[in-house]
Amino acid sequence: MGKVLTQNNKRSFSLKNYFSRNPHAKFTAPAMLTMLLLSVIPTLFLAVISLTDYQLGWDFSRTKFVWFENFIRLLSGSDPDFWHSVFISVGFMVAATTLEMAMGFILALVLNSTEFKLKPLVISILIIPLAMTPSIAAQMWKLMFNAEYGIINYFLQALFHIKVVWLSPEMAFWSVLIVDIWQFVPFVTIIVYAGLRSIPQEPYESAAIDGASWWQELWYITIPMMRKLLFLAILFRVIDSLKLFDTAFILTQGGPGNATEFLSLHVFRMANAQNGLIGRAASIAIVLLVIVSVVSMYLIKLQRSEE
Amino acid sequence: MKIRHKKAKKTLRLVFLVLVCCFIILPFLWMIMVSLRNRVDIFNPGNLFITPTIKNYVTIIENNNILKYFMNSIIIAVVTTIVSLVLGSLAAYGFARYDWAKREDRAFWVLSQRFLPPMAVVIPYFLMGAVAGILDTRLLLVICYTTFNIPFTIWMMRGFIEELPFEVEEAAYIDGCTKLQTIRKIILPLVAPGMIATAIFCVINSWNEFVFANFLTSIYAKTVPTSVMMYLSVSGVKWGEMAATGVMSVLPVLIFAVIVQKNMIRGLTFGSVKG
Repeated sequence: MGKVLTQNNKRSFSLKNYFSRNPHAKFTAPAMLTMLLLSVIPTLFLAVISLTDYQLGWDFSRTKFVWFENFIRLLSGSDPDFWHSVFISVGFMVAATTLEMAMGFILALVLNSTEFKLKPLVISILIIPLAMTPSIAAQMWKLMFNAEYGIINYFLQALFHIKVVWLSPEMAFWSVLIVDIWQFVPFVTIIVYAGLRSIPQEPYESAAIDGASWWQELWYITIPMMRKLLFLAILFRVIDSLKLFDTAFILTQGGPGNATEFLSLHVFRMANAQNGLIGRAASIAIVLLVIVSVVSMYLIKLQRSEE
Repeated sequence: MKIRHKKAKKTLRLVFLVLVCCFIILPFLWMIMVSLRNRVDIFNPGNLFITPTIKNYVTIIENNNILKYFMNSIIIAVVTTIVSLVLGSLAAYGFARYDWAKREDRAFWVLSQRFLPPMAVVIPYFLMGAVAGILDTRLLLVICYTTFNIPFTIWMMRGFIEELPFEVEEAAYIDGCTKLQTIRKIILPLVAPGMIATAIFCVINSWNEFVFANFLTSIYAKTVPTSVMMYLSVSGVKWGEMAATGVMSVLPVLIFAVIVQKNMIRGLTFGSVKG
């Protein structure tokens, strides 16, 4: 009894000690511990599953450790769909980020250099794609993309007499990209526009005196002044386009065939009720996790080293 | 000559903006229009002069039990927001007001939680939920949504707290307030607007979430974003009913978004940009 008491005392003493040495921990500990519990443990569990041959509905006792077999299968190319997924995921990331940054930047420049009364309305319209539930927005796009009775083809037919099968194997990737552009160009625009508004006027005035051209102003004043902002916009677009799931899942379910089977969707196809290959799906999920972590860590490091 | 040139340029820019706005608003407008159309009219998009009907709304409320989905969404969003706001704001205070060696590393670790691909973590959540017997419950979704709302709250609230001058707190200490009193009576009222904005973003984040909601629930705990799967039937998609659900789901979010417009950039970038 006495022994237990002293032990307890000792423990509470050291904990107290810890808090007095780290006064911030009193505030941060509850949230940090919750996050550790809710995201680190599942991630570790995912890593364990990826080393097994577990299938949906199996009893855990039936599961065997196959160690790195799942990963070897992926990397050796005996799952060609995997490399296809990696390829289109990365391709999508590059295309979406580049196009959205460029278009958003241009739109923000136009918005910034034009003064008119209805500007608040334009900003409100820009918010619509960001607030609209992605799965529902994707479903609306699916209706609009419909080859027979979609409104887009109706316009195209009326104006140019052409008909595009938007969700065909050749076009599906681009259709997903169009929806992504619709959703996230406003995101970039709003961020860049706010950045443009916050740049002081003086550098432009002295540049004007020195006779700088519009391009020089853009390249030597505007972009350097907004480095951090642009960087963060790129970071968010890169990661979110790698994670892409909702839009493609609703729009194409990864099809037709595997034309739009991005990594997230590949995970889904392995793990869904028909295949149920949870072990293999987990290994793909780990690959996705690694890609996302490496890219985000690299970008964050790059940004922090500049500060 | 030069003035005319300038005017032409401005007109050109306005035309460009109008076109962009049309493109952006088209899916939203089309959703509202489809939700008011009869089944036949939906397959004839060119016909703009139709007699509007509220039949779709009546159907989803009476036959599809859509109100239950809304109930789930509301409960999950509110509970998640409260939990995240309490834990997150406390932590944000620690990050904003104390300086310790690894503070920025920890802060970026928190930010990195935002980058976890949901499709990767949904697998362990599914299995752990199955073992714990809480699959298809609101509780499980609350747990999942807290994982991305706590880091979000920390980054958002840290910014808001850092914007308060420390002198305000000091003055309170000098007047004899304890730490807890200071937080409750001085800081809380001052950061209240920021907290409300953060709360609204938490609600929007949870309201729109799809991956966890779709794969971790089957009957009882389904939320509004997953209802789109319900309208796929053998006889094709029930577009009208789907659009009606969409309108009901998107309108409250849009109203919320307009309220927090001032903090939009902060909310969109996880609090890492203070617009």
